[in-house]
Amino acid sequence: MTDITPGLLMIAASGFVPYLPHHFRQIFILIAITLSSVSLAAGDGVHWMINVLGQELILHNADNLTLPFGIIFHIAAALNVIYGWHERRPIEHTAGLAYAGAAIAAVHAGDLITLFIWWEATAITSVFLILASGTERANKAAMRYLLVQVASGVLLLAGACLYWREAGSLTFNFMELGSLGTWLIFMAFGIKAAFPLLNGWLQDSYPEATIIGTVMLSSFTTKLAIYAFARGFAGTEYLIWIGAAMTAFPVFFAVIENDLRRVLAYSLNNQLGFMIVAIGIGTELAINGAVAHAFAHIIYKALLFMSIGSVMYRVGTANATELGGLYKSMPLTMIFCIIGAMSISAFPMFSGFTAKAVIMKAVGYEGLTYVYLILLAASAGVLHHSGIKIPYFTFFSHDSGLRPKEAPINMLIAMAIASIFCIGIGVMPTTFYQILPYNLDYQPYDASHIIGQFQLVIFAMLAFTFLMRFGFYPPEIASTVLNSDWLYRKLMPRIGKPFLTISNKIVVGANKALTSIAMHIIALFLYIFKHPVAGPVAPGPATIALLTLLMSVLLLVNIF
Amino acid sequence: MSNLNRNLRKMGNYASLFLVFIGIFLIISEFFVHRHGEIKLEDFPIFPVIYGFSASIFIVVVGIVLRRILMRGEDYYD
Repeated sequence: MTDITPGLLMIAASGFVPYLPHHFRQIFILIAITLSSVSLAAGDGVHWMINVLGQELILHNADNLTLPFGIIFHIAAALNVIYGWHERRPIEHTAGLAYAGAAIAAVHAGDLITLFIWWEATAITSVFLILASGTERANKAAMRYLLVQVASGVLLLAGACLYWREAGSLTFNFMELGSLGTWLIFMAFGIKAAFPLLNGWLQDSYPEATIIGTVMLSSFTTKLAIYAFARGFAGTEYLIWIGAAMTAFPVFFAVIENDLRRVLAYSLNNQLGFMIVAIGIGTELAINGAVAHAFAHIIYKALLFMSIGSVMYRVGTANATELGGLYKSMPLTMIFCIIGAMSISAFPMFSGFTAKAVIMKAVGYEGLTYVYLILLAASAGVLHHSGIKIPYFTFFSHDSGLRPKEAPINMLIAMAIASIFCIGIGVMPTTFYQILPYNLDYQPYDASHIIGQFQLVIFAMLAFTFLMRFGFYPPEIASTVLNSDWLYRKLMPRIGKPFLTISNKIVVGANKALTSIAMHIIALFLYIFKHPVAGPVAPGPATIALLTLLMSVLLLVNIF
Repeated sequence: MSNLNRNLRKMGNYASLFLVFIGIFLIISEFFVHRHGEIKLEDFPIFPVIYGFSASIFIVVVGIVLRRILMRGEDYYD
């Protein structure tokens, strides 16, 4: 039983989901997730291999890196089921279960072809979470999302084929970046990990998904890419700088974005940057940091999306301009949201602190001063847009006049469980560190570190207070902030349209010219046939024409 | 002004005051706890205080500038 790839059972079970009655369906999904997780106990090694056309495909490979991702993906999938319990439509539950299953199966792929199959499967299943919104806007976003995701898959497949020729093996393990094949794979991972300028799809599509859909999306796709980088490109120096840029840029956008789910999508991007930096360093300490951060991040990010989702479920919007003063109407949601906010801001005693500390230690240990300073500034930035902005504009700020009911009980339970994880990881780091890939002998709680971290976050908060009090903080405005998806939503059509018009004109013009030449030739022939050469003695104009024609044909033949 | 707005204002004042007190406490604690960082620069007295505050201001200022360049109407893509 444990030989079966984790996640596979979930994909199979998702086929039955649409046909089951509402509550029974949720229980069925939870059972499927539990049974799937049994395979995680298989232990290290290759557990399932099949032979396709002479090629060995490793469907189930497990080691110290797959285990933490396997565990957290199962936890996230189960949390999503509870969070979405109230939803009667089967579409999100079906897609969500298959999507989580595909991501888990991808983590256990031992070769690049198997990885490719599950890589694409996550794209195809997850797009329904966006389509389920049912609006015109969401449909368009879903198609853009699908295009980008499938492009990533195609790059992966092309890269895998080239890599197969170069290295003679399809085994998915560490790859030295250098050849075309490895670069293509790197780019495929980079798209899914939302690298700078390749990140547009993330902020474009996640906020367009349904309330449950966004929570589901936030857990898997990008973290699968993080896992893929950790396995394939650990220690690749480019990643340090790419990651540093990823932590910095989204922060500025998040400060001025009005849609709070989009703000969270930016902060998700920024958090991925921390993991990418750690993977770029590639030491055992750094990889531990990346995995720890991915683990903690999945939960607190889901918690934040859940809390904003709950508000959206009750009042129908996630725009900061339309929210405010909800602390009295939705007090529990507010508490959970603040727990998520404090976790992502890395307050001591919360999960972000114990996870991020490992990455910062690894960066400091390598003596990467500039990177360290960027990450530190980005940490202050996270505090601003996720730690303060999200809860502040939703639950405090000013009276929006909204008086909704507290979130449904199932949503509260899911948020409560996520909160327990956030605090649990925060207060029991040694237990948490045990699931990491390598042994970690580190204690984040010493007086020096706690004081230093508090100084950073409290004074970042004071800066916010200062800016708010004196009216310098940019007010929330209902607007669109341009992001890198502008490149393919506006710039490319803008260049593409004139280009198409011009090339169209050229083709039409050439067509016209050729037609007129052909018409002339035909006319000439007609003339010749109507005026046959009378005899050898009197060469008329027809003979001259015929000769000219023959000569030009000969000349053309000669040229080509 | 609605009741809720008055409460919010009051809460904001208390929260700001509370933050200022913690801030002062954290600066004072620097004299009693030997704080050391992961990089040399971080060992500088009250470095996180200065860096956390100024980085936040910097981010917001860049955000304001960025808004001028990148902000469009809500229906820009429609």
